[in-house]
Amino acid sequence: MKKIDKEVADSYFRERTRNIIIYFIVWFLVSFGVVFFAEPLSQYSINGFPLHYFMGAQGAVITFIILLFVNAKLSDNVDKKYGIDESKNEQISSGKVFEH
Amino acid sequence: MDTQFLVSLTIILATFALYIGIAIYNKAKATSDFYVAGRGVPPIFNGMAIGADWMSAASFIGMAGTIMLLGYDGLAYIMGWTGGYLLLTFLLAPQLRKYGRYTVPEFIGDRFDSHTARVIAAVITIIISFTYSIGQLSGSGVVIGRLFEIDAKLGTMIGVVLIAFYAAFGGMKGITWTQVAQYIILIIAYLIPVIFMSLQITGNPMPWLSYGELVGKMGELDRELGISEYFAPFTNGTKWQFLALMFTLMAGTAGLPHVIVRFYTVSTMKAARWSGAWALLFIGLLYLSAPAYAAFSRFILMTKVAGSKISELPEWTKTWVDTGKLQVADGNGDGILQWSELVISNDIVVMATPEIANLGVFVIGLVAAGAMAAALSTAGGLMIAISSSFAHDIYYRVLKPNATEKKRLSVARWSIVIATLFAGLIALNPPGAITQIVAWAFALATGTFFPALVLGVWWKRSNAKGVIAGLLVGLGVTLTYIFAAKYGGFTILGIIDTGAGVFGAAAAFLTNIIVSLSTEAPSQKIQEEVIDLRYPEQMVYKNGEVWMNDGTKQL
Repeated sequence: MKKIDKEVADSYFRERTRNIIIYFIVWFLVSFGVVFFAEPLSQYSINGFPLHYFMGAQGAVITFIILLFVNAKLSDNVDKKYGIDESKNEQISSGKVFEH
Repeated sequence: MDTQFLVSLTIILATFALYIGIAIYNKAKATSDFYVAGRGVPPIFNGMAIGADWMSAASFIGMAGTIMLLGYDGLAYIMGWTGGYLLLTFLLAPQLRKYGRYTVPEFIGDRFDSHTARVIAAVITIIISFTYSIGQLSGSGVVIGRLFEIDAKLGTMIGVVLIAFYAAFGGMKGITWTQVAQYIILIIAYLIPVIFMSLQITGNPMPWLSYGELVGKMGELDRELGISEYFAPFTNGTKWQFLALMFTLMAGTAGLPHVIVRFYTVSTMKAARWSGAWALLFIGLLYLSAPAYAAFSRFILMTKVAGSKISELPEWTKTWVDTGKLQVADGNGDGILQWSELVISNDIVVMATPEIANLGVFVIGLVAAGAMAAALSTAGGLMIAISSSFAHDIYYRVLKPNATEKKRLSVARWSIVIATLFAGLIALNPPGAITQIVAWAFALATGTFFPALVLGVWWKRSNAKGVIAGLLVGLGVTLTYIFAAKYGGFTILGIIDTGAGVFGAAAAFLTNIIVSLSTEAPSQKIQEEVIDLRYPEQMVYKNGEVWMNDGTKQL
């Protein structure tokens, strides 16, 4: 075990939290936001669909999937930046876990 | 006995044999195998298992039909049941995995250091999972019953015995790998018919790209008929009901114990994040296809069935008219079936598509096997959730903390068998509308577990009194609103019983926060454990300092 600056750990947490807040803003806009403005959006169309229908049936779901993969990938990058070693995590996690 | 019967029977029996074989091969030897599959499931396979766990008989058989009948308003289910994975993966799953327990009630019991909270959470888990499982079991009964032309009750019993056997035998380890197999079967069974349907109607083998044209075209047909357009928003409820339902389904997804527990089966926080991403990709394949099924079916019904002479309806309609799933009545006696004279059951869309597209006996049998896979995989996950709440949280953690490993495994196995049989008995005569009850399970999860878990993970000040009050108030408000809206005609902004979770969650968050702040803070140790959840496994928070575990000895 070696001690690290609390600031470093805090900035890890801030960086992760900031990303998550951004993902949630996008999540909210493509689902709740589009539903809220469904009537005015219905006059536009995309690939034959009225826009609000497209977002509900496909656009929102595809955005969700992309956000989850972006989160997984960017979180890995943040981990790497802070020198986190996944094989160590596995070791710690299987040793430390409360197996009862 | 015709060819269809023999082909379907062979396919279904082959899949059953596969599931049982997998369960025997992956027999659980220790409690960690039984509850969390030894915590070594690779993320991509866990994603498939989550997908199968998640997509129930109702998703497989009924959702496309629901979307067809509700039009745009049905899309609340598509967005709600997928968007919840963001709440789960960003806010809860990795942190709960780092905390490293076996069940959701165990997290709540240990995080808040309270046996009362643990028992309340265990009881709520049992209530939610039990209501949900009744829908699965009666769903599997309907499939077996319709296919083999036997009583749906007998079909239910066959499903029950099968689930009880393989869930009790393999535990979470066996269930994980059967769910992987079930996912593959159900997704192939779901996609083949819709791809062929798309090819036949639009000439394009990609249904996701091709059905947009039809949606637009149907809007024109609807205008000619003088009914509201297929895609017109909020024709079946207010905008607020749509938003409330969508929120309830999302937060309920993040609070359903049988889904959360699947994230405990992977090795690390990173693996939990990747599991969530893979899971939604696999789930998305089905959810993106359901509206395509809906559009193709409605288009065929509007253009090929409605408008033709009653005496000259297409061949495939006969079997569905016989079972009452499709009702045709020549109301005005002109010998021609009008659109308004058709009454369509939502079960018909997916099950009838192979016949409409004339895909032959093999695909019809495959779709039946897919529907069974959807019902069995979800029921298996639910049974583990029920059994672990009882055998682990109530029996072992509260009643008999000295029980031996062997004894605990046998209690876990027997509680699965008993819970399955009991749910099966109720599923023989399912109370009221099943889809309604499943929607209530989501409202309950939204009003109870979602606030408790979010505050438990993200707010160190939340304490035992706060969470107990929050769980009880959330449960009370949700149930009261469900009954007031359903039977008392009481609604706020047009939000009906299925959107009740919004009020439950708001009440539970408020109660938890107010009660926590007005009582003493949790112990230093608990607060540190909560801060520790912010960091990856390698970073350890202790006494206001952060340590990096690099494998060298602890100081």
